[in-house]
Amino acid sequence: MATEKHQQKLSLGRVVVIGGCGFLGHHVVNLLLRSWSCSHVCVLDLQCTKNRRPESDGVEYVDANITDSDQLVKEFGRIKPDVRVNIDGTRNVVTACQQTGVKALVFTSSASIMSDNRNDLINANETYPVIRGKMQSEYYSETKAEAESIALAANRSETAPNLLTASIRPSGIFGEGDMQAIYHMVNIYEQGKHNVQIGENHNLFDFTYVENVAHAHLLAARALLVTAAAETQPLDHERVDGEAFLVTNGQPVYFWDFTRAVWHAAGSDKGPGSAWVMSRETGLMLGFLSEVYFGLVRKPATLNRQRIIYSCMTRYYDITKARRRLGYEPLVGLDVGVQRAVAWTLEQRKKEKKA
Amino acid sequence: MPSIKNILYYSFHPVQLRSMIQWKVWHEPVHRRDTSQESKELTTCFHYLNMTSRSFAAVIQELNPDMLVPIALFYLVLRGLDTIEDDMTIPIEKKEPMLRDFDKYMKTDGWTFTGNGPNEKDRDLLVHFDEVIVELKKLKKNYYDIIEDITIKMANGMADYALAAENNKGVETVPQYEEYCHYVAGLVGEGLTRLFVAGNWANPALLERMELTESMGQFLQKTNIIRDVHEDFLDKRRFWPTEIWSKYVDKWEDLFEPANRTKALHCSSEMVLNALKHADECLFYMAGIREQSVFNFVAIPQSMAIATIDLIFQNPAIFYSHIKITKGDACQLMIESTQNLRVVCDTFRRYTRKIAKKNDPRDPHFLEISAACGKIEQFIETLFPTQDPKKAALVAEQQNEEQGAEFKENLILVGGIVGVLLLISTIMIGVAWIAGARFDLMFNGANQTVSAGPTTPAAITGTNDEL
Repeated sequence: MATEKHQQKLSLGRVVVIGGCGFLGHHVVNLLLRSWSCSHVCVLDLQCTKNRRPESDGVEYVDANITDSDQLVKEFGRIKPDVRVNIDGTRNVVTACQQTGVKALVFTSSASIMSDNRNDLINANETYPVIRGKMQSEYYSETKAEAESIALAANRSETAPNLLTASIRPSGIFGEGDMQAIYHMVNIYEQGKHNVQIGENHNLFDFTYVENVAHAHLLAARALLVTAAAETQPLDHERVDGEAFLVTNGQPVYFWDFTRAVWHAAGSDKGPGSAWVMSRETGLMLGFLSEVYFGLVRKPATLNRQRIIYSCMTRYYDITKARRRLGYEPLVGLDVGVQRAVAWTLEQRKKEKKA
Repeated sequence: MPSIKNILYYSFHPVQLRSMIQWKVWHEPVHRRDTSQESKELTTCFHYLNMTSRSFAAVIQELNPDMLVPIALFYLVLRGLDTIEDDMTIPIEKKEPMLRDFDKYMKTDGWTFTGNGPNEKDRDLLVHFDEVIVELKKLKKNYYDIIEDITIKMANGMADYALAAENNKGVETVPQYEEYCHYVAGLVGEGLTRLFVAGNWANPALLERMELTESMGQFLQKTNIIRDVHEDFLDKRRFWPTEIWSKYVDKWEDLFEPANRTKALHCSSEMVLNALKHADECLFYMAGIREQSVFNFVAIPQSMAIATIDLIFQNPAIFYSHIKITKGDACQLMIESTQNLRVVCDTFRRYTRKIAKKNDPRDPHFLEISAACGKIEQFIETLFPTQDPKKAALVAEQQNEEQGAEFKENLILVGGIVGVLLLISTIMIGVAWIAGARFDLMFNGANQTVSAGPTTPAAITGTNDEL
């Protein structure tokens, strides 16, 4: 893993983090304060109540709705940011950046926009197609894909040639503050449903610790600022502006190994070979029956075919492009990430149970 | 003659037996050593090669005629060095300068050495080393220079280790462990790569990426060091670095206590993890080989190594016995290692998945080992991609059209099965009814037995207690 201690802190100027109170966003803010030098950090979020830094850190928190373009332009005009890290992107944000002379916009996309949620992605890189429209079965991925194309189209656009943009496509983010992947897995463990394995467990999957994703965002922001300051346009093979970057931990692991590492961290002492292995086909049939049953009783199915497909899908990426062009190297290894994330989740669940 | 134990074993493992027969019957060497043209000295050299090395001798003798003699002699020179280093009857005052001067001996006509202890297994080689020297002098100069250079480097490394061992300094840190592996295996690799490139049997780019060569040696050596831990322990030698084992036990000998098996296994997992990191670079290296006999020569030991790692991973037997892959597996591996890189990659992937399957979530390095396996698989994908991004879009579109139909298809399938079952049941009940079955009586009977249960007082109190 790359060491950050020995490097001199690089500067990012005035930075706005949209969605900086969210899961990924607050990790971006933490990393900004810890490892980068910024003249000003401002967070825009719908409600800046959770994941706030202490007052002494000097982060400015502004309640703002990014669907309200007038408010956005007003806030940007006041803050005058150099860099925008965008967690929830829309056209308004791009327009506001263009109107207020922002230099760099880093958009948070997702590696899932390249998946049709059925077929494997084996060592996929950025040359793989983005799956759109009818072919894209996940609404979330469709919106991310649309937003990414807006953000990247704004790079050196005719109307605002000084705004540079880039997109980060993380895969399987997890970490402290994550209420999805790890939370769900711990839930399965606590319900005692962790003794099943669907498929052969030959499917490699990319999970990415949140701080590494934050790191990639800030590296991209830095690269865009350097490009903006340069006299000439970068060569194609080193270009960051207008580009999308897959970002993972660079450690694809077998899908069920990851869940078992989580379960072990949550307290399980099961060894290898103790799980009941169900074939993918059996899983799909059960998933289907469960869908039919829950369809009849009109409730959302806890077990469905999509979940079965996900757990048997090979989905890992080649992050050479991020390594070469952004100088990206994960800061935190997968197993340390799992320890941190599970510890946080157990703490969180304890709080919930008390409440 | 095969022992009864072997006959029993292979009668229950016919696949392994098949591999052995296949290898013996069908293996056709790319090249065969031509003994008719050999000098008396060269024949003696091959005699010692067969005496000193069991596994290597056969592969060496299938090398192409250009590489055959240089590599055989290279091997004998290193074996000669080893015989001096290994011999505990030679005092360090004599051993150290001998090692450092070995490159001079191998240029001296008629040089032999009779000072080895009587039990040193390869002492005959040094007793007749003059014959090796005769053949060394006939080598092409560029080949000789490479062998000489490696001999100097390795002899000095060995001398340093002999001195350190005299002062009871074992391998402490991981870098020291890897440095040791460099001297005894990495350097051999360096010599071989330089010989291959000098003969134009390998891509010269390998010389620019010497870390690939280094990985070849490290992977083999580390695998042997893990496998032989018990044997070395009995010989009072230790190669596992203190930095690693001291995390699990306080004293080295504690690792072999049956009471500490779990800790010992966790320790061996960390050693395995450390060895696995080289596997992808080994595959990369093999991609640089241009000739079949040289490919076989480098690929066989590597395939054996990944299979050995599978054998020793999570296997407590390494702490109380000496284990080896079976002859049948070895033959299978040799068949697979004498074809092409793609087949070797398939072998690596197969064993990688076997290793992953044994990985234990309770092991401290569980996820890291999973990632190390993932790294090997990912690297194989970079060599031989399964997917083509250009086709991916087209495939996705096709699949998309089928998707809507699938739910309906499933529904029809399940509906069909349920329908057939219902139909059969109805017919059977119908036939029974026509034949005069009294279903009304059956239900009456059932009600009676069902209601008989809970009315017993014990059952009622039992239920109450639970409530």
